[in-house]
Amino acid sequence: MRTRIKELRARLGLTQEQLAQQVNVRRETIVFLEQGKYNPSLQLSHDVAMALETTIEELFIFD
Amino acid sequence: MFGKPQWFRRRKYGGWGLAPATWQGWVYIGIFLIPFAIFQVFPIWSDSLRIGVTIGWITLLIIDVLHIMMSLNNDERETKIEAFAERNAAWAMVGTIVVGILYQIIKSGFSKTIEIDWFLVATLFVGVVVKAISNIVYDRKSL
Repeated sequence: MRTRIKELRARLGLTQEQLAQQVNVRRETIVFLEQGKYNPSLQLSHDVAMALETTIEELFIFD
Repeated sequence: MFGKPQWFRRRKYGGWGLAPATWQGWVYIGIFLIPFAIFQVFPIWSDSLRIGVTIGWITLLIIDVLHIMMSLNNDERETKIEAFAERNAAWAMVGTIVVGILYQIIKSGFSKTIEIDWFLVATLFVGVVVKAISNIVYDRKSL
């Protein structure tokens, strides 16, 4: 699984720390999410999608 | 209570409980430990007062630490990691206890006297009960 979190976060000018605070997780979790090394819950996926003003479908790419 | 969750993080590499994450956490530990150590060092109080204060102090500390631990804001990845670590630790402890009981049974057979530590058996039994209750509760809970 790949994600577009890094790209969309950069577009909004958010740092990893700021995104982490918005979705109530640690910065390390955002790092692992961006690297596709963590499968988030549906709730966290939704929260990240909302924070990045997109949808879950746009956020995650399943090869 | 007294301590704030943001001053601490869960202890990951040195057992269970809390580890200070900020200087306030260290101050909290100092405030809890130093007056208690001073109280214990000076022998001007009676034994009954000393025992009473020790029990009260430790009870207060346990309640406050439990309160902090329950208020700690673990994110879901941290929670998963903690769950796996706790499961592995539980399995290691169960394995060690079983080996210990088996050793005591074999030793008892050779010496023809019962030399089993019933606390080990009780610990295993409590574990079985807690596991069963946890399965019943979580089977019915929306996770």
